[in-house]
Amino acid sequence: MTAHGATGELKAPARGLRLSRDAALGWLLMSPALLLLATMAIAPAIYLVYVSFRHENLLGPGSAYVGLQNYARVLSDAGAWSDALSTLQFVVLSVAIEMALGLGLALLLNRRLPETNLLTALFILPLGVAPVVSALVFRVLLDPAYGWIDYYLQSWGLIAEPIDWLGNPVTAWVAVIGLDVWQWTPFVTLILLAALSGVPSEPKEAAILDGAGPLALFWHITLPFLRPFLAIAAVLRVIEAFKTFGSIFVLTGGGPGASTEVVNLTLYRIALQDFDIGAAAALGLVFLAFLSIITSQLVKALGRNTDILED
Amino acid sequence: MIDNLGAYLSRRNFLALGASLAGAAAFAPRPAFAAAAAKPASLNMLYATSEADSDAIKAALPDFKAAFGFDVNLETMPYNALQQKVFAELASSSPYYDAMIVDTPWMPALTNKIEPITDMTLDSELSGDLDIKDFIAKVFFDTAVFKRDASNQHFPATDTVDPAAIKAAGFEIFGLPIQANVLTLAYRKDLFDDPAHQQAYKAKTGKDLAPPADWDEFAAVAAYFTDPSKRRWGTTLMAGAGDWATDDFKTLLAGFGGDGHMIDDKFETVFDSPEGVAALTYYADLIDTRKVTPPGTTSASWDNVATSFADGLTAMSMNYHDLSLIPTVKGSVAYAEIPRGKSVGPHFGTWMLSVNSFSKNKEWAYRAIKWFTSAATQTKALAHQLHPTRASVYAAAAADPALSAKFGNFYDVLGKSLAVGVGRPRLTNYGDVDRAIWVAVNNVARGAAKPEDALKKAAGEVRELLKQAGYKAI
Repeated sequence: MTAHGATGELKAPARGLRLSRDAALGWLLMSPALLLLATMAIAPAIYLVYVSFRHENLLGPGSAYVGLQNYARVLSDAGAWSDALSTLQFVVLSVAIEMALGLGLALLLNRRLPETNLLTALFILPLGVAPVVSALVFRVLLDPAYGWIDYYLQSWGLIAEPIDWLGNPVTAWVAVIGLDVWQWTPFVTLILLAALSGVPSEPKEAAILDGAGPLALFWHITLPFLRPFLAIAAVLRVIEAFKTFGSIFVLTGGGPGASTEVVNLTLYRIALQDFDIGAAAALGLVFLAFLSIITSQLVKALGRNTDILED
Repeated sequence: MIDNLGAYLSRRNFLALGASLAGAAAFAPRPAFAAAAAKPASLNMLYATSEADSDAIKAALPDFKAAFGFDVNLETMPYNALQQKVFAELASSSPYYDAMIVDTPWMPALTNKIEPITDMTLDSELSGDLDIKDFIAKVFFDTAVFKRDASNQHFPATDTVDPAAIKAAGFEIFGLPIQANVLTLAYRKDLFDDPAHQQAYKAKTGKDLAPPADWDEFAAVAAYFTDPSKRRWGTTLMAGAGDWATDDFKTLLAGFGGDGHMIDDKFETVFDSPEGVAALTYYADLIDTRKVTPPGTTSASWDNVATSFADGLTAMSMNYHDLSLIPTVKGSVAYAEIPRGKSVGPHFGTWMLSVNSFSKNKEWAYRAIKWFTSAATQTKALAHQLHPTRASVYAAAAADPALSAKFGNFYDVLGKSLAVGVGRPRLTNYGDVDRAIWVAVNNVARGAAKPEDALKKAAGEVRELLKQAGYKAI
């Protein structure tokens, strides 16, 4: 469009009319998608902003404009800040562990062995399990009275007494992060496994001829090739981890105390248990702003790291 | 106008006219429900899965069809999903469900969306067979009687349910109670009856081994039965993060002489009292110091403790439902009322069946809930573990040897416990208030906070929550 504008051809009336028809046709063709977008995304977003300035009582009279009261409530609530910190802690730790383990597993599975296909299929299994089901299974496994984990730890003499995993903040976080790592490491592994199959063999062979060892090969050849894929996996995982709800809700319910309460649990409680839609909208928008900052930084990092793919 | 009328009518004629009008009024059908509404092809009803024993209602459906000639389409959901569904349906003014089950703590927020049925209960044609006085009055008032525009208020308790008195006091009836849950104490009868245990307990404490009557005895009995080497503990407690922890605490609070409602009618917090501190100290002491509870107590919910008891891990368990043992645990279960302290007040909360105010079949929905909560239906549902809400059904349960064989003395204890139970405070944001309290209870139970500090912090949070919800201390 800029190129057309720069040519000066727009000044000719006939040409201008034709372009206008083209534009109209373009808009016409785009209109179903635009309509869908407006209905499904833009209108709800505008409504969300609207209700965030209101006390919205869906179940009776008393709805009113309250200005910034909902935002003030959210931002002055120490609990909300604590939840945000817990969310950040969960995302950073989970994704970091998943990236490290995913890379390790991908390197192991990349070796052409007869068992590789079977092992790859097995490693993918957790991805197919619904988070709520995984959480229920973990709850049973971690039960200190009859769960397998405490039973074996005691049988092997590693602990004297059963651990109440979900009754202590530290061990509850271990459980929550452990569940996420169990479920999502295969996702990272799959991406990196695909990437490893595309690493060219020539630079490796040249490096081996120059006397490079396995560590040097990994550090100087494999890792630079994997970098864009690591970035993609990290960005996708961070976005997904911020959205985690079902597994934590079922596994700990935010407890013990409020130690594993993440922002999504608080949002659920305010919106779908208290039905305080105004406060929930305000909290959701604040969380969205926070996520937008993080996501934009991640996308920038992704852009820098995927330059190699365009070369 | 009367003066003018008098000018044209003699006294005799005036009296005759009055008598005629009175007669006509007496024999004329009531206008609101004069003509029976057209019979629907079916009714849709929303119900709770396990919390209100949906099996009992499912089993009654064929009888309903035989009686009414059409089906009730029953949908059941677990607690959280059910609450969201009920609130979402009512918030969107959906007429889809004609009748729905409502839990007590939800009701203060729903008084503008649930259909008041007081007038229907007063209609002799529609409610001739209701026998409303048969409902346990305490259960009925706590569950179903609210003031529409002041949903926090309680109807002054009386011994009988009188819809006219309820109406006259400005209150309305919003449903009919169907399932009364109250904390009872289940215990291993086989262990308590074992002569070896009886002798050993007597030797240890100087007292006879029996279901504990007070909280000191409860601790002593729990300590006696605790033997981790045999994988046996004295009792379960529901100290995990959730509503159940609040229920345990408010039961103890009432037992230690405090107000089990936790927040009084003046919107003052009354759980951070010396009684509250004593109750929570005792609770944490059972878990942390005496260690009479099985591992996992500080993350246990009501269904976890039911499993622990069923697996034979404990000798006693407080729960809202009757409990059973798995077949490999060869034993038997009996029930006792929750121990007393200075007072008693086991937590109770009842479910009711209500009519959706947006239903197109309100009258038939009312007839349906009347039928499902009738003495005949409830009596039949006893075999499916329904917790009845009518006095006559408890009498029927006591007289039925088959039920006694199946559930022991459960129904007897349930009825007695309901008579002394203490409900929840009536708040539109009870969920948040509840959470502030259970976080405190859970923190103390796992030794992360002192009772005084935790309750003080929770009370501060609750006061702020009450303020946010528009409640002002009176």
